[in-house]
Amino acid sequence: MANRIGVYVCHCGSNIYPRVDSPKVAEFAQRLRGVVVGRDYKFMCSDPGQDMIINDIRQLGLNRVVVASCSPRLHEKTFQNAVLRAGLNPFLFQMTCIREHCSWVHPDPVEATAKAMRLVAAAVDRVNWHEELYSREENVHPDVLVVGAGIAGIQAALDISRSGHRVHLVERSPSIGGHMAQFDKTFPTLDCAACISTPKMVAVSQEPNINLMTWAEVKEVSGFVGNYKATVRLKPRYVDMDKCTGCGLCLEKCPTKVDSEFEEGLAQRRAIHRNSPQAVPNKPVIDASACRVLNGKKCGVCAKFCPSGAIDFEQREREVELDIGTIVLATGFDTLDPTPLGQYGFGRFPEVYTGLQFERLNNAVGPTGGKIVMKNGQKPESVAIIHCVGSRDVNHHEYCSRVCCMYALKYDHLIKDKVGHATRVYNFYIDLRCFGKGYEEFLRRVQEEGVTFIRGRPAEVTDQALTPEEEGKLIVIGEDTLLARTIRVPVDMVVLCTAMEPRADVAEVARVFGISQGLDGFFLEEHPKLGPVSTATDGIFLAGTCQGPKDIPDAVAHAAGAAAQALALAARGKVTISPTVSHIDPDVCIGCKTCIGLCAYSAIEFDARRGVSVVNEAMCKGCGSCAGACPSGAAQIRHFTEKEIFAELDGLLAPVRIPVTEPEPGTAGAANGAEETETAEAQA
Amino acid sequence: MATTVSLEVRDANPTKALREFLARLLTEGLAGGVLAGKHLSANGGPQGAVMPTLVTDPALLETTDPLAPSFPLNAARLVSRLTRGEGEGSLAAVLRPCEVRAFTELVKLNQGAMDNVILIGFDCYGAYPNADYPRFIASRAPDEATLAFLAAASKGLTDGEGYTLARACKACEHPAAGGADLNIGLFGVDTGQRLLITANTPRGEGLLNRLALSDTDPAHAQARESALEELIAARSEYRDTMFAETATATESLGKLGAYLSNCISCYNCRAACPVCYCKECVFLTDVFDHKPWQYMGWARKNGQLRMPTDTLFFHLTRLSHMSLSCVGCGQCSNACPNGVPVMELFRLVGDRTQRAFGYEAGRNAEEAPPLTVFREKEFAEVTGGTD
Amino acid sequence: MERFEPTIVAFVCNWCTYTAADLAGTARMIQSPNVRLVRMMCTGMVDPKYVLKALLGGADAVLISGCHPGDCHYINGNYKARRRVKLLKEILTGFGVDERRVKLTWVGASEGNEFAETVNELVEDIRELGPGETSRMMVI
Repeated sequence: MANRIGVYVCHCGSNIYPRVDSPKVAEFAQRLRGVVVGRDYKFMCSDPGQDMIINDIRQLGLNRVVVASCSPRLHEKTFQNAVLRAGLNPFLFQMTCIREHCSWVHPDPVEATAKAMRLVAAAVDRVNWHEELYSREENVHPDVLVVGAGIAGIQAALDISRSGHRVHLVERSPSIGGHMAQFDKTFPTLDCAACISTPKMVAVSQEPNINLMTWAEVKEVSGFVGNYKATVRLKPRYVDMDKCTGCGLCLEKCPTKVDSEFEEGLAQRRAIHRNSPQAVPNKPVIDASACRVLNGKKCGVCAKFCPSGAIDFEQREREVELDIGTIVLATGFDTLDPTPLGQYGFGRFPEVYTGLQFERLNNAVGPTGGKIVMKNGQKPESVAIIHCVGSRDVNHHEYCSRVCCMYALKYDHLIKDKVGHATRVYNFYIDLRCFGKGYEEFLRRVQEEGVTFIRGRPAEVTDQALTPEEEGKLIVIGEDTLLARTIRVPVDMVVLCTAMEPRADVAEVARVFGISQGLDGFFLEEHPKLGPVSTATDGIFLAGTCQGPKDIPDAVAHAAGAAAQALALAARGKVTISPTVSHIDPDVCIGCKTCIGLCAYSAIEFDARRGVSVVNEAMCKGCGSCAGACPSGAAQIRHFTEKEIFAELDGLLAPVRIPVTEPEPGTAGAANGAEETETAEAQA
Repeated sequence: MATTVSLEVRDANPTKALREFLARLLTEGLAGGVLAGKHLSANGGPQGAVMPTLVTDPALLETTDPLAPSFPLNAARLVSRLTRGEGEGSLAAVLRPCEVRAFTELVKLNQGAMDNVILIGFDCYGAYPNADYPRFIASRAPDEATLAFLAAASKGLTDGEGYTLARACKACEHPAAGGADLNIGLFGVDTGQRLLITANTPRGEGLLNRLALSDTDPAHAQARESALEELIAARSEYRDTMFAETATATESLGKLGAYLSNCISCYNCRAACPVCYCKECVFLTDVFDHKPWQYMGWARKNGQLRMPTDTLFFHLTRLSHMSLSCVGCGQCSNACPNGVPVMELFRLVGDRTQRAFGYEAGRNAEEAPPLTVFREKEFAEVTGGTD
Repeated sequence: MERFEPTIVAFVCNWCTYTAADLAGTARMIQSPNVRLVRMMCTGMVDPKYVLKALLGGADAVLISGCHPGDCHYINGNYKARRRVKLLKEILTGFGVDERRVKLTWVGASEGNEFAETVNELVEDIRELGPGETSRMMVI
């Protein structure tokens, strides 16, 4: 039986019509094969517009619907729902875009109308082959996995746990808090980082709904939205968490010292160590690469002194499997290692520091007890702060790291405050970006404190003095681009505001979770504006700086957003799985496994008994890399089948009779009685 | 260095020596079955093609004649059938080099397994098209005809009244089976005295050890190498001429249409193709089951429509599907009822596409077919230099 | 002489280039009307048959456009597309089809201007090349 197709051409007020002669397109559509009715209307997406479709489906017995209007990315769902309300399967519908791709970009009404006709013809041809498709519902496991327990992960975990849902919080390091735990003050309010983050960290450890796993990593993730399974690797701590009281005696007795990562190499720690007495959990971990006992040497001092017998050199790595419904990734950022930027002398000159090192110098529990002093113990008389080290730099990262301007201003203030007002502070900046709440005010305040701002990225930091005043100093050489002259600024100390960058193993983590990275290397959000926390993989959300550079307020807000998204799924308990996924016809499949190797989501398995490849529809995202590769056409994406695409091409390439006279704006074009001609390619 | 041994030939009959060699594999339990070409109508009937036959009883190897210049089909598909899934005992398959290479391609596509099969290739002088072979053998006894062919072919004299060596064979620059476990050496060898057997794989080495055959005189191996090189040079030259002619004949889509104008869409070429491995060709699925009004629509476009339709589409699609795996066996041309020079086209395009991907069909089982893999940084030229 | 108006079919991915085309529209970036879009979910979905069908069906050129490398919504679909286009170019150029008639580009979701430029440049290129052979041939 022939299909009964209704075609609806929108005017979109004056956005489509009269540039595209909507009435004429509707009239044209009415002459296409299978089309029972072609109508045009001022606003198809309005209630009367939708009712027009619904009434026609009911009264004319339409079984296929085509709407030509704006981009389907805007209103496809609207019309699918209208079709559904009339009792027709929503996939028996096709939408074609005659606004963004037609009326708005083709000034010539004749050309625009002709193209609209072709697009409508293609949609009509295509919709003939559409099949009824049904979404499936799957249960959502109520538990949530949060990966990374920096401030973003902590925020997300707390938000979710407060709703009553259980959270598995996995942290790679021995304690939580992330980079924020290393900071001293936070801009622009200058409250101390520990004062505001410690209560949150303690709340995590006390929340019964949070299963905190530190010194642990997610090794593998399988499953699909609502039904993920994660394998977590628990690294051996060599300290029994139940017995240890966190007294810290072992930390004093351990004879082995190595550079401390937490102190950014400015101080040493023992082989058995913890970041600070406030660490959560506050129980230490033994560094297996440094510990004498674990490297076959004699020692065991920690075990000897431990009053609770908590040291356990026999601990082995363990794995746990978690069932979860949704995942929040809060894996954070790394800071750029400035060593390769040899011109700034990091690693060569002891008084060149990274931003994080300078944070530690400021921190009351840091290597200097919070005093800003040079390696020789003296206070610096002058400090240069170089902004944008590795950021906004085509050789490193093109993006702006978004936090450096503000923490540089914070350093300005802290230097003036702690070292003394006479200390000279020079900021070498490109632009000052103080966009957040209270940020511009903070800049004003710092400017008033007598800090010098020099516009221009320095070329070099050197110790080669040219004048007696430069002797024994580090000289920052650059150009003051506002004065257009080169300058040499001798200082005692240089701080490099190094870029935030993706974690070193970001690609591997992206692979484990089956998500994408953007060009900058950070995890890719679903939409840069309207989907900043979701990913292309359903049920996996991003929180904080793993998605891109953020300051603390933004990271916390982002995390709260991710928590809400994860909760929305978990609370509903059901998820709708799109039917537009791959299907492999077992009668046609020969089992060559090419599709299996190409599937980015491990959604295809080989059925050895039948010798065919089988799609796990719940895991399939419908990308079609299997269909694009399958020579026999056994693998096809529902709603994007070969039949459908071929028909669309037939419609696009069919000769269209188009009017040669221009329609008068405001009147129905068809009334002009335009003579018609074949298009150029039809004549050829 | 691959081991090469010498297999003694008695009565100046290398076919007989080969048969005895295969019989040893069966009797000594080294293989549970032998797949090799066999004369099935040797007992007075009309001389038909030499069909691959799976022999388990050594006594029945009598009319086995893998060296006969008959090539009714590419047996790679048969070896695929025999090695796909659970097997029983190991199989020895005597194959032409192009069959070994086609099988290698099939293994990569999960259409067979190397685990339980001994691939025995041989120096291949080529074969006659199916239509020519009966004229070649005429009323001669099988062994007599084959021995005469070997003698003539070693002098480069293969064509006679009513029979011409297949063009695919004349253009084949892979006359020796480098990828087989064992290769029977004929080129430059006095086959009245001996055959050379070279082991190309550890499995082949193991077999030769078990069979305790004596190493050959290095001079014999050297002579074979030289003859092989000479043959490859001659065939490459023939191939290049063929490529040039074919390229000219198909230098536009219009000319390609004319080139394929005799095609009746019987799809025999794809059925005969050893690497067209689909269970059902997409052109036979409902995707191409067009409605009457669709034909009318296409016809209206230019006022006329060639029927059957989709001919160019079919061949271009097949080129995109398997030119990368084309081993140039020529069975497509052999199977074409209308004399469309399919092989020439596929070899030409295959040469180009395989070169573009640095790939050679059948060279190595470890080499992934180009469309089954990808790299993050490659082919920047496709997108105008941006990757 | 009347100006040649090529017919060009574009297979564009839903997430990047189709969105860029929407953006170009929203920004009213004037484009030649010769390019007609077919929305795909991913360039990795573009079966070489689609390109062949479009060309044999009378398109003077085919554009395939998706997310930039590393930016694919489906992780790596665009890399698969690149190999297939490479193959198609190798096959078709041998039959006298100018290389420019099969074009693969990366146009990200935010690159509306890139999209408009790509369209306009391609149309100019093809206009210069003249009609494709198939537009004058009986479909066979």
